[in-house]
This record gives sequence, C-alpha cells and structure tokens, in this order.
Amino acid sequence: MEQLINDLKVQIKEALHLEELQLEDFDENTPLFGEDGIGLDSIDILEIVVLLEKEYGIRMSNPKEGKAIFHSVRTIAEYVQKVKSE
Amino acid sequence: MVSVLSTNITSPLGFTTEQNYQAVLSGRSALKCYEGLWGLQEPFAASLFSEEQNAALAISGYTRLESLAIRSAQEALSHTELDVASERIVLILSTTKADIGRSPSEAAGAIAKALGLTREPIVVCNACVSGVSAQLLADSLLSAGLYDYAIVVGAEVQSRFIVSGFQSLKAVSDAPCRPFDIERNGLNLGEAAATIVFSRNGDGVWHLVDGAARNDAYHIVSPSPVGDGLTAAIEAVMQGQDKTRLATVCVHGTATLYNDQMESKAIQRAGLSDVPLSALKGYYGHTMGAAGVLETILTMRATDDGIVLPSKGFTELGVSEKVCIGKTQQPVSVGEKRCFLKLISGFGGCNVAALYARGTMDYGLRTMDDRLRTMDCGLWTKTHTVRLSSGDGKSLNEIYREQIGNYPKFHKMDILSRLAFVATETLSPLPRNGESLPSITGGDGGGSAIILFNHSSSIVSDRQYLSTISDADNFFPSPSVFVYTLPNIAAGEIAIRHHCTDETSFYILQEKNETLMQQILDASLRASNVQSVISGWIDAESETSYECELSTYEKE
Repeated sequence: MEQLINDLKVQIKEALHLEELQLEDFDENTPLFGEDGIGLDSIDILEIVVLLEKEYGIRMSNPKEGKAIFHSVRTIAEYVQKVKSE
Repeated sequence: MVSVLSTNITSPLGFTTEQNYQAVLSGRSALKCYEGLWGLQEPFAASLFSEEQNAALAISGYTRLESLAIRSAQEALSHTELDVASERIVLILSTTKADIGRSPSEAAGAIAKALGLTREPIVVCNACVSGVSAQLLADSLLSAGLYDYAIVVGAEVQSRFIVSGFQSLKAVSDAPCRPFDIERNGLNLGEAAATIVFSRNGDGVWHLVDGAARNDAYHIVSPSPVGDGLTAAIEAVMQGQDKTRLATVCVHGTATLYNDQMESKAIQRAGLSDVPLSALKGYYGHTMGAAGVLETILTMRATDDGIVLPSKGFTELGVSEKVCIGKTQQPVSVGEKRCFLKLISGFGGCNVAALYARGTMDYGLRTMDDRLRTMDCGLWTKTHTVRLSSGDGKSLNEIYREQIGNYPKFHKMDILSRLAFVATETLSPLPRNGESLPSITGGDGGGSAIILFNHSSSIVSDRQYLSTISDADNFFPSPSVFVYTLPNIAAGEIAIRHHCTDETSFYILQEKNETLMQQILDASLRASNVQSVISGWIDAESETSYECELSTYEKE
C-alpha cells in the first residue's frame, strides 16, 4: 500500500505538472480538490482517470460516480488496490 | 446597421438553407450512432456527411474543409450580384480546428482565392462562440466603413482528433443529445458549413442590431455556474430594448450538464424566462465553428414563418431555473415578434449574445449607431508594450521562475498560454500579483478586453495532442492537452489572471499585419464601454520558436 501511494504521488505530480509541489510535502491524506487542498480542478480529475488507465489498466466510464475516489492520494490508492484484487 | 443579403447551410440534412429548414420542420435529425469509426473504442453519436455527400461536395485540389466552405459560400453568393473581385469584400472564416495539423489561415487563404476574393481573409477562432463572434466582427468592420460586404463562413469537419478530445473530457453522448432535458448526458459533434453575406447597407430583410461578448474569467473549460459572462452579454445587448419583440432566444443548448444549467441561470437573471427558447443541437449536433452561423440562419428562417422551432431531444426540464422550452413547434406573431436573440458560450470563458431584427426598423430598437452617438469614440493607442521571442536567451520557464512565480497553473499551460501569461505579467503597468486591472477596480465598470492575433493557431498543442492518439496500442488522449488545442484558451488564461470580463477574441491572420490588427481592434471596440485593452501578436511554431508582442491600449 505504501509503495502504491508513493508511486501514485510521483505519477500524479508528473501527469498534472505539479512542479511547485515537493513530493515530501505531498501528504496522501490532503484533499486533492478545493482551496484547502492541492487545488486541482475538473480537468485534473480527467487526467487522473487517464493515468489510472495508462498505468494500472483501470477504465472508469463515469468519473462523476467516483468523486469520493478522488478525494486524496490515499483514497485513490485504496480504489486501485480494491479493483486490482477483484 | 448591417443586413443579411444571402445565406446558405450545407449540412448532412441538405445543401441549401431551404433544404435544411424544411428538413428541420419535418423533424429530421442528422445524428446517427457510430461504433468503431476512426478507430475510436467508445461509441458516439454525431452528424456526419455520408460518403456520397462528401463525394458530391469535394473540389479537386482542396481539403474537405475547404471544399465544404467554398461550396457553402458559392451557393450563398449565387443569390447576390456581388462583384467578388471588389476590394470592398472581406471573407471571415469561423472555425475551431479547420484542417488538423495546419493553420486555419492557410484554409482561409485557399477559400478566399477559390471564391475570387482579393482582400486578406480573417479567421475567427474563439472556440464554440466563433460563429457569432465572426458575425459581430463583420458588423464592426462594415459599420466602421472598412468594407461594404462581408462573407461570414462557419465551417467544421469532424475527425478522430476532435471526437477523441471531447470523449476524453467525458462530454460526448453515445445517443442523440437532449438539450435542457433531465436525462441529458453530453453533446454530439457535427460537421457543416454555413454562410451569411452581410451588406453594410440596410438593403436586406434581416438586420444584425447589436451584439456583445463577455468573458466569465472563471475557468478555461467550465462555465461560470451562475452564468456571469452570458448574463453580462445579454444585458449589454438588451439594455433599453423591448423584450416583448423577441420571438425566441436561440440558445447554445449543447446538452452537457454544465452548459444548459448555466444558460438557464443567465436567462433567468436577464429576465427572459418567459421568452420561448429554441435549442437546435438535436438536429445537427454541435457543429463548432459553423454552429453560430447555422443556428442564426435557421432562426431567421423560422421567424419569417412565425415559428419557434421545436427543441428536438428535449422532453422534461432538467435545469434549475424556469425557462420556456418545448419539444413541439410554437407559433409566434410575425407582425409583433420580429426580433430574436442568439446566445452562445464556449471554452476559454467566452459568451456572446446577438440581437437580430426583421423588416423595417420602425419599432424603436436601439441600434449600434444610436449607441455610438452617446459615446466617446476615440481610437485606441498603445500605452505599454512587451516583446518576447525565442531568440531572447531566456526561456519562458526562466522568466517565470525569476520574475513571476507563485502561479502553479503556469506549468500546466501550453506554449501559447505560457507566452501570453509571461508577457502580460511583465507588461508594465499591469499588476504582477494577478489583481484586477486598475480600470476595473476603479469602479467605473467597462472591464478589460483581450484581443489576440497569430498565424499558427495552436499548432504546437495540436501536434502534442496528436501524439497521444496516434498509436492504437498506446491510445491515451489527454484532456488537458486537448483543451489547449483551442488558441483562444490563451486569452482565457489572461482573463482569469487579471479578471478581464469584457470581450476576449482570437484572430488568425495570413501574417503579422499591423494595419489590419489595429483596424480590427478599433472597429470591434468602437461601440464598447471597455476601459483598457490587452492586444497584440502571439505566435508559436514550436516549443523553441515563438514570438510575442503585446501592448496595453487606452482610448485617445
């Protein structure tokens, strides 16, 4: 799980061009969206959807249903692990 | 006031305005479901020309887009007696993507030449609003006396590029779209060309009375949830006008969740809840650069007959505000209801409203000429200028790091937007911390406008997006790259940064023609309250070959 979380942090930082976010400051529990969090937007969600397909082979047809999944890096990791174990 | 001399619609439903109008009246739709087309895995519904139609439209030596535009313009011109070789005629091409991988200015040049025109054509590239923007530009250029006639052609052809891009944004429905409906789940893309020939004189039956463009300054893709820009555009156009004269409001109605909801907000806020709406995407899908022209023509034709066209695909209202929309044809009084409003919104935060009127102007409409009489109509002069080019020795990233910083979105932008961003941030006297321009905070209203020009459109992002879809085994279309394949996003980024809420426009020219750029700037902001303008040339042929010269302008 920890390895998956770290991989996701690196992949999200790269795919979303979060160049000013240091990996050591990238907490897996911080909300990804909203002003109190990392501040990602709707296009960023869609880019994470592409990332999950590209890196983990997970296809999400309706990302709106999975809003809870994109709460934080940890919730994404839990989702990836759940899908992979099914 | 400019008037309409002639029109044409060339679509899968027919090759003339009348054929299209009759097809729509009989309830026909060009939308069909496709599976596996262009190697796309996800199914989609779209309005596409058939093989036979493409063969009939093709002109040897021209691309599919050029052929389509030439056919449409020629058919419209055949009903006029214009001398096409006259220096008093301009071609304005409205398109969002033209031919992928090639500047739309090349298509415009080829179309103008094929039509026998002699003046340099202008391409309007303001994402989805382009078709109405192009008509407002025609109005401005003709009203300023620069030309006597404008041929406005909106044209778009569909491809793997565009459909995969909108699919990556999860915006495409696999079934015929349902504007304003509770079950709507996305748009359909369509291909078409549509032409309006405008005359400087009021000799046509239909007149373009007034129009306004306003930016949300909210997000590059999502519309303002409360419809700020669209409300402002409608209010600017309808101020002092008699709304009981409106036969209909022809909405954008893309059938995406966000667009239709936003439009309902703006219609309510502007006090137009009781005016019948018509949403026409259920017949043609979203024909992008053609949509604003095509839908204007159909609405003129229907209003001639005293009809509000049914909104095909609509059944049950699915927006939060009260609007008057129907799935069946509604009659209106031809004598009383002689005006209509066209609304359109698009990526980059753009919103445009335009008011059209039929017949003699004897019923108290306020025209642009009336507005001009009450205004300070000085020309615009440069106050400050910044030049950036790839030969400067410092990269945009270096300038950002050394002089700007603290705007993480910078790293997400494409080359064109980064160029616009760095230029405006270093453009004295603009504040560097993203505050509003002084004229807005000064409280006298009017906002700020952004008018940008280039030659290469968004060619760098086009190539980058193509690389994400070119390999069938490595097919991962990137939504964030696709968004930047619209060059006007650069204007949208500056609008967000500096809260510029007036007009934002992007024009593509044959070359950097400073005389023409100044004429467009002066003409399009002649009847505007805008206090300050950022305008100039911004072109990137590659990540390492770019040129930008932006200025702030004030009225003389």
